Amino acid sequence: MSLRQGSFLWLAKHDLSLSWRGFEGLFGGASRRNIILIVGAAIVGVHMLAWPVAQWFADIENGIGGEAALTAFFASGLAFVLPWIVAQSMTATTRALFTPGDLEMILTSPVSPRAALAAKVLAIAFDSTASVAVLVLPLANANVLAGRTHWLALYPALLSCGLFGAGGGLALAMALFAIAGPRRARMVSQVAATIVGGGFVLSIQVLSALPESMRAWLVDLIQGSGGQAISLTRSVLLLPVRAALGLFDAMIQWGLTGLIAFALAALVFGETFAHAAVVSAGSVGASRHDRPRQAFHSGLGPAVRAKELRLIWRDPWLLSQIMLQVIYTLPVSVILLRNGGVTSSVGIAFVPTIVVVGAQLAGALAWIALSGEDAPEFLATAPVTRAQIDARKIEAIGLPIALLLSAPLLALAFVSPWSGFCALLFTGAAVISSALINLWRQSPSHRAKVLRRHSQSKLVGLIEHLASILWAVGAGIACLGSWTALIPVTLAGAVLWFARPRQPRQRRLNSPASA
Amino acid sequence: MPEKPPPAALCLRNVCKTFTQPAVAGLSLEVAAGEFYALLGPNGAGKTTTLRMVAGLLPPDSGEINVFGIDVLRRPIDAKRIVAWLPDEPMLYDKLDPLEYLEFVAGLWGVESRHAQNLAHELLETLGLWPHRRQRCESFSRGTKQKVALAGALVHEPRLLMLDEPLTGLDAATARQVKDLLVERVRQGATIILTTHILEVAERLADRIGIIQHGRLIAQGTLDELRVAGNAEQASLEDLFLALTSKRERAA
Repeated sequence: MSLRQGSFLWLAKHDLSLSWRGFEGLFGGASRRNIILIVGAAIVGVHMLAWPVAQWFADIENGIGGEAALTAFFASGLAFVLPWIVAQSMTATTRALFTPGDLEMILTSPVSPRAALAAKVLAIAFDSTASVAVLVLPLANANVLAGRTHWLALYPALLSCGLFGAGGGLALAMALFAIAGPRRARMVSQVAATIVGGGFVLSIQVLSALPESMRAWLVDLIQGSGGQAISLTRSVLLLPVRAALGLFDAMIQWGLTGLIAFALAALVFGETFAHAAVVSAGSVGASRHDRPRQAFHSGLGPAVRAKELRLIWRDPWLLSQIMLQVIYTLPVSVILLRNGGVTSSVGIAFVPTIVVVGAQLAGALAWIALSGEDAPEFLATAPVTRAQIDARKIEAIGLPIALLLSAPLLALAFVSPWSGFCALLFTGAAVISSALINLWRQSPSHRAKVLRRHSQSKLVGLIEHLASILWAVGAGIACLGSWTALIPVTLAGAVLWFARPRQPRQRRLNSPASA
Repeated sequence: MPEKPPPAALCLRNVCKTFTQPAVAGLSLEVAAGEFYALLGPNGAGKTTTLRMVAGLLPPDSGEINVFGIDVLRRPIDAKRIVAWLPDEPMLYDKLDPLEYLEFVAGLWGVESRHAQNLAHELLETLGLWPHRRQRCESFSRGTKQKVALAGALVHEPRLLMLDEPLTGLDAATARQVKDLLVERVRQGATIILTTHILEVAERLADRIGIIQHGRLIAQGTLDELRVAGNAEQASLEDLFLALTSKRERAA
């Protein structure tokens, strides 16, 4: 059946095929057959991992208070999934508005802006739902295979989450656009998306810091005990949870809610979105207030540092994605804290997390500055060596890393000076490691691809992660005052030794000229 | 004792560069200091490859390249200090404004900050970019971007300025601004090498013209010298260019 040109479904097919192409791009040019094989193997692998987890759920479900425990689990899952989808939708909407793509071309065509927007939002919903589905659905499938068919309800519940979250994200992004104006909307929306997306993870951090009695009260409140349970599980807020649990009424209500939210957002914001796209195109790079300008920086170092910091600061999408990455690393500290306890081993709880966060930040920023250089040929014509420029770039990224990590490091040093010292030492080592690996193994690309940088070279990604994990493990052991910390430290050194440049760096500019 | 003649602004000796096939094949040419030199040739003749080698972006397979007596291969940093290269696609940072871009360029070339700032303001005024000085480059048209890149090439006051198709895509007024600025720079003592497919520009601006084809210099001289060599006293540069290149093409 051929779709009517310019119709919603026709546009949706176009947008979904673009999403698929983007997904294919993650495999670095592998053939479609290989992609299917890799994805197939990954699906089997994830299902095998999900099997024991499903058994664990079965035990919980069959135990005393099983339904309440499952409700609590689904409520937690929802608190993670919905903000994530909303944040992804906000980010994607903002990017669609401000990044030159096919939007302008589509809006100049005689198709309905509402249909164009609805198709875009559907693709956004699909993308963000798929990123959650790969983790959640194998668990549902494993449970279904084990005979607990009510887990099938996760499919429509998740689909509705996608539609509801995408519609909500669009509404929030457009509201921020209206409030902040086209020039500030990009930054404001990205920051808001980061906060929304990381909200659940951040609240877990707050929860973990609460006294035990208060935590128990909150858990009781979510799980429900006695009379409270009835009112809370009937709360509208828990409608998607009830739908995921397979309650028929709730499934219908949640399905309709998702559809209505999506349709309303597309209908209400269709025209506004088209107008916003036109306005934002005109606002890109618009003149800023002509504040008195300070004198030019003098010399290579200040000039390169100023340029790098300006470019990082002016890319809110990049910043928010990096911050999201950092925020999602934080739950590690909760797990460690649960196992270690605050008073006995605060170092073990937090220091490895800080080390990993530092390494991740350094890896991302070093890649942006070194491999994501916008004008490498221009720099190559300057009367300075590549090594001089690279050194100044590494200096430049040191400042934001130091600013971001100084607060947790200081707090840690206040609670436990030895842990603070270990954190400083090992975070410094991990940051330098990540920066060096990115310096030695540069892979020029566009800076917007920072989160996919490891798809270019899996080996570099592996080396970077391995080194940061080894530094983190070393930090944890060092906090306990054991000399065995030297083992991961030595291994991290060996990893760096392996990653070192073995021959003069290739000239990346040695390519045919245009004439 | 006779005075040593000043070194040529650019001196190429038997320069070769091969990718999958030869791009530059034993090219030798000299451009005198203070000269406006137009390097012409059909598509794929080796013009851009030649200029990229002079700019230090590509190493030649063999041959010598000297800029004002400085060996580009042995002393690349010294050579780059006095050279500017403006490619046909402007190399800018979308998220920087023109002033910030010029500040960065001045920092790379080590220009004293106060002097650089004055020069930057002057260039922005001359090129009509002053009203756009606080706008990010991402919003600029191609012509405006080209002017910002030109300002970047001039802010460190190079002795040798190489421009690859600098007028492509510019409107008439902008093209006139750029041409006037280049002529003024030559008048002040700079050397300019320019590649272009707009032959009227070469005819009007250049002191000497070099024509390369298949990576070799096939003709060089003033317009009158080229006419004499081509036995066509009244011919336009376009006629001469087509006659010379098609003759070579047939011979090849």
